[in-house]
Amino acid sequence: MYGETSGMLREALGELLRQHRIQQRIGGAGLYTVPETTTPDERKLIGEQIARYRYAVLVWSHQAMRAANPRINLEGSTGRTRGPAEQLRYRLEATLGAIEVTLPTMDELVTEQPFALVDTWRRAACACVLGEHDFANGVGYGRLSEAQSRSVIKDAADVVRAVVSLDRRYANIPGWQALKEPGRLGRAAESCVTWAGYSESDYTVDLRGWRPEPTLIEGPGLPGITGVLQAQHNLLIHLGTIPTAHNLRVVLDSQRIVSRETARRLQTVDPTVAVRWERRAETYGRLVHETRDLGGMVGNGGPAAGQGSVAAVRMEKLDRGGLSDAPQVRRLQRVSAGIDDRICNVIEQGVGQRLYFQRINVPGLDAHNGELVRVTRQKFVPITSPVQTELLAIVRSDLRPTPIQRKAPKGAAQSRLDFEGALHHRPPPRGASPDVPSI
Amino acid sequence: MLLAHAVTLAEARSYVAALADAALTTDASIEYDRVLLQIDFIHGDYIPGISPVPVTDRNVLFEVAESAIENLVRHGIDSLTVELVLDMLWAARELDAP
Repeated sequence: MYGETSGMLREALGELLRQHRIQQRIGGAGLYTVPETTTPDERKLIGEQIARYRYAVLVWSHQAMRAANPRINLEGSTGRTRGPAEQLRYRLEATLGAIEVTLPTMDELVTEQPFALVDTWRRAACACVLGEHDFANGVGYGRLSEAQSRSVIKDAADVVRAVVSLDRRYANIPGWQALKEPGRLGRAAESCVTWAGYSESDYTVDLRGWRPEPTLIEGPGLPGITGVLQAQHNLLIHLGTIPTAHNLRVVLDSQRIVSRETARRLQTVDPTVAVRWERRAETYGRLVHETRDLGGMVGNGGPAAGQGSVAAVRMEKLDRGGLSDAPQVRRLQRVSAGIDDRICNVIEQGVGQRLYFQRINVPGLDAHNGELVRVTRQKFVPITSPVQTELLAIVRSDLRPTPIQRKAPKGAAQSRLDFEGALHHRPPPRGASPDVPSI
Repeated sequence: MLLAHAVTLAEARSYVAALADAALTTDASIEYDRVLLQIDFIHGDYIPGISPVPVTDRNVLFEVAESAIENLVRHGIDSLTVELVLDMLWAARELDAP
């Protein structure tokens, strides 16, 4: 997720911003009490390594700017025609073009570094590499609201400010390659932060981005409500593919049973929630009724039907007090809402793309079936034709769950405030203990 | 599928569906719907649609559905499968008792 990866990056850079006396932190001279452990040549190699990690951080910032503000062609534009976000992107492109290092290799990313400072850079680079996946998975222009885009731009600009600030501090490392025109880059980042701060940020962007694909919960059936959750979870995953009409009917039937049995067991525990489950059971009952003559052979859905039946049987066998655990009931509610949503999409897609049909009998015999014996003529008509059933109406009005208004994660604002604090951090005066406030 | 088979199947489906609609309890309705799903599963996707039935009495509906399902044996459906469906039908009937 974006929040996770950008949080990791902010944390690592925040730590680096609070570290001064860089030479001593990579084994250089300067402290009487700590001996020099590295030669200038070794420190040069360490500097090159840090430069590679820094390059990964700058690449991430550039990708974030592209994702949140994708003006394609900046060529021919001038400082006057570029907005703050475009100016920062332009400066980043110029900086990246001038850097003569490559991205860190996988070995460099996963091998722990002997010096804590370099290892913090490594963590920052790792966060950037992981964060690259977010931009193609929900953190991109068109998928983000304007406020979310502004949050991404501000995050990237803050990261650039941190890199510029650190660049000055690392200048004494032998062979250190400074950024090209760091002043301009820093000013562009600061204007961008100011511009993004004019309006309210939306940290719900932290919930977007790449996340691992949910996998099946394999193995033997788990006991109690956990077994029901296992089957419901697996059903949701198997519903990723379109089921045939018959298998869809089995799934609908299974959900009716699960809802009814859940409502029955929750009557004494939580009557309010029980009413909701009762309503779900009634909706699925109507869907079962409306799909009795549904036809369609496209798709599979065998595993989904199987898991649905398993869920129904496990719920039927659950003892009366099996739903006394409130968190488990909430989990069941969440996974069932996911199933509802998926079934809505499956039916809408099946009807829209004519994968499911309504079977009707036509008065008279079929004289053109090529057989000696004439059978009743049948016709499959699209569900949206004049003989349409209530199927779509039920799906759209009753089954589809209400979209959830997502809230920003708890630590989203705090993580940014901490990073802001690190950016404005100043080293304590000589002789003062950093832990004790000076008078 | 021959005409006689199609007629028997249509009759079985229509009367089981009518039983599901007329059931006194939701549990019985669910069980009748399972019977319908099982009949459809046996025949695959090529099955006649459900027609409205002229009676509403549950006993009559049950008798006709039972005899239609029994008659499926004459149309190439193996007797064990038919017996299993009949067993499901009777189980549903027990739940439907007033």
